[in-house]
Amino acid sequence: MPLTDNGNRRMPSRSAALSLLESAGVYAVAALLVVVGMFISSDFLTADNFLNILSAVALLGIASAGMAYVTYSGNMADLSLPAIMAFSGIIAVAALPFGLPVALAAGMLAGLAIGAMNGLVVGMLNANPILWTLAVAFFMEGFMRFTWSNNQIYPATEPGSAGEAFTGIFRLHVGPVPLIVCVMLLLFVLGHLVMARTRFGLESKLVGSSRAAARTAGIRVSRVVFWDFMAAAFCASIAGIFLTSMTRLGVFYLGQGYDFRAVTAVVIGGVMLSGGRGHMPGVFGGVLVIGLMTNIMTFLGITSFRQNIITGMVFIAVVGVQQYRLRAKGKDYA
Amino acid sequence: MPRAPIWKWELHGEKFLDASALQMLGVSKRFPGTLAVDEVDFDVRVGEVHALMGENGAGKSTLMKILTGSFADYAGTIRVGGKEVDIHSPATARELGIGMVYQELSLARPISIAENVLVGRLPVKRWGFVDRAAMLAEARRCLGLVGLDVDPRKTIEEISQHEAQLVEIAKVLGSRPCILILDEPTSALSRDEVGRLFEIIRGLKRHGIAIIYISHHLSEVFEIADRVTVMRDGRKIGTRDIDEVTPQLLVQMMVGKTIDEFYTQRRARIGEPVFRASGLTRYGFFHDVSFELRAGEILGLAGLSGAGRTELARSLCGLDPLHDGSAALEGEELEFGNYPSTVARGLVYLSEDRKEDGLFLRLSVKENLLASLLSRHSRAGVYFTGNDASVTQRYMEELNIVAASPEVDTGTLSGGNQQKVLLGRCLATQPKVLILDEPSRGVDVKAKRKIHEAVMALADQGAAILLISSDLPELVGLSDRVAVMRNGRIINEMKKEELSEEAVLLAANGQWEPAHA
Repeated sequence: MPLTDNGNRRMPSRSAALSLLESAGVYAVAALLVVVGMFISSDFLTADNFLNILSAVALLGIASAGMAYVTYSGNMADLSLPAIMAFSGIIAVAALPFGLPVALAAGMLAGLAIGAMNGLVVGMLNANPILWTLAVAFFMEGFMRFTWSNNQIYPATEPGSAGEAFTGIFRLHVGPVPLIVCVMLLLFVLGHLVMARTRFGLESKLVGSSRAAARTAGIRVSRVVFWDFMAAAFCASIAGIFLTSMTRLGVFYLGQGYDFRAVTAVVIGGVMLSGGRGHMPGVFGGVLVIGLMTNIMTFLGITSFRQNIITGMVFIAVVGVQQYRLRAKGKDYA
Repeated sequence: MPRAPIWKWELHGEKFLDASALQMLGVSKRFPGTLAVDEVDFDVRVGEVHALMGENGAGKSTLMKILTGSFADYAGTIRVGGKEVDIHSPATARELGIGMVYQELSLARPISIAENVLVGRLPVKRWGFVDRAAMLAEARRCLGLVGLDVDPRKTIEEISQHEAQLVEIAKVLGSRPCILILDEPTSALSRDEVGRLFEIIRGLKRHGIAIIYISHHLSEVFEIADRVTVMRDGRKIGTRDIDEVTPQLLVQMMVGKTIDEFYTQRRARIGEPVFRASGLTRYGFFHDVSFELRAGEILGLAGLSGAGRTELARSLCGLDPLHDGSAALEGEELEFGNYPSTVARGLVYLSEDRKEDGLFLRLSVKENLLASLLSRHSRAGVYFTGNDASVTQRYMEELNIVAASPEVDTGTLSGGNQQKVLLGRCLATQPKVLILDEPSRGVDVKAKRKIHEAVMALADQGAAILLISSDLPELVGLSDRVAVMRNGRIINEMKKEELSEEAVLLAANGQWEPAHA
């Protein structure tokens, strides 16, 4: 592979080895967490519990797989992610009377519409991605509360109805593996191929490295940024529909907290906040670390407020280390 | 008006007007690999305008940076007002009363004129609150020094470019300098405004302020300067009274050497026209520009800074807006404002500033070389890597790019190798028309030669090249024809046999007449 070097014909290279080491680091931390987990609970490493952990991180994983595109292309984060999750879920529930396929399609389209808006404004108009998506999140929350009068809406779940099928999605299995885990793994594999082997992925890397240089290299920067936000919205919509199916209700606050945890997973996974560096396997590792941490903290009976404090501190530490290493390498041009 | 310069009381007994405000004796400054300033003697008298001239890279800016305290490790002696001083920091320079107006404006655009003018010395009341009344009064006083009558509460965004230029000068004058350095102060000014600026300068002279005036504009130097010093290759060529020199003599002092044999060996095979531009206009930058490029031809674009050359190139290829005109590549109209499609059609622009918007410094050499080929090497959105290694190897060899491997970060390379990577990226697209904007700025001699070889080779393969360069030997050496831009228009066209560094420099100043006319 030319630009990311993930193929078999790997050239000997310091930067490739380094990035391998960095993602190996994430998996080492994940392995360490598994060991810690085994001390805490004897049945931590059983196949059953492993699948449980994967199921538990799947929602975050799907959201992070999308968020990775935004960070990778140098746009830091899509803070409208919770809004997209909530909106796609609420629209899907609202469209259930028209049948399950229509409901799912409507939910996806609703989420993608927000992604398109983000992509157009950030891509074409060069809006600050953080502020713009924050504003969108704020607006969408108000919009959803207004439209549904601040209420939760529930799918009708009579036996044989579309509602029952909808709430069953979260519980579907492919063999022994939950569907949501399959979807997450599929999105990561797909994401890896997109980033490493498609024109769009390579262009995202260039845009993330330097938007100005990408312009003079003849890359359609606005278009690339548009599709990065679309990819994020696509994944967030899937996560939103799964989450809605799980909780059996559509409501404006549904995806809260996923924005920050997704960015944390992406950054822990080695994608630089400044863009252009990192890869999908690393992000998956980041998701595992966050998932395992949450799992262990829950095992230990740590309240969710304290969990937030710890996750926040991990984020600060990782970003700090990334910055420090860039400086230490003397890469002030980075 | 400005405070009386310090030497008024420090030079006891000496006659005011003959006294030296500034003396630099045997001043040198060495950078790794080059002697940027070599044993230069330079002096400015009280109440004098002393013009400093020379080509790009002659050492003018380094000399001025020594004066303003950018380098603590210069060699030689500097006297200010007759007293020997050691200028080791910008703060020392300020204390000594040395102020400099830079070519690029250093104003913060969203804040008020008053705050810009008084930056670093805002009048403060108790509890650290800004004394707004005092601030506005002082700002008005400073603006009065340059005869600018605008409300100091306006922001820089609300005033015009030339007003901003005057604000910049007011800001420096506000700190009451005794020695004032003006670096190309007229590049953003209209003719009337230049006249007004010169009035201001004459007023400052009467107050005994010593002025160093850096400019490429011969007419301005003859109008305002009392003496002129010419530098070349880090050395001082000479200092003359302005009455002793002619424009021709000054130009000769600036350029010197003859054209290298390296360039004269090339025999251009010029073919059919491939590119035609007519009536290109971007209001405020360039107007009604028309030209034609032929296959195998290198057309040089000469001009002083601010003549509109870079702006023309960027608008032409679609990176910046264009208001009027048309252009055709191989007979087909070009779609403006769409650089990616222009690249796909074979017209490529090499950016003037490799660090700002040229290279991906954090990515590898290989990734940089291939950056413009992503769409070409993709089918249905999937990127095929088949040609990567061969393309990378070819351009690394052809341009002799020195890097440990194709995978090292481009930012770790030397300036010359970085520039070669940028050129390699353009060459890899196999352009039909290549626009080069300062293709060898800030690179060493060897890299420059390699770049020139590659440019000539590309032309010999039948590409048309538009070369924008402020490096006269480069422009004269490479070009088959030169178009001269001045104030946003093409004013002359010079044939190969008419080219010399002197002729081009005179032409850029609007002082050249074709022999046959």
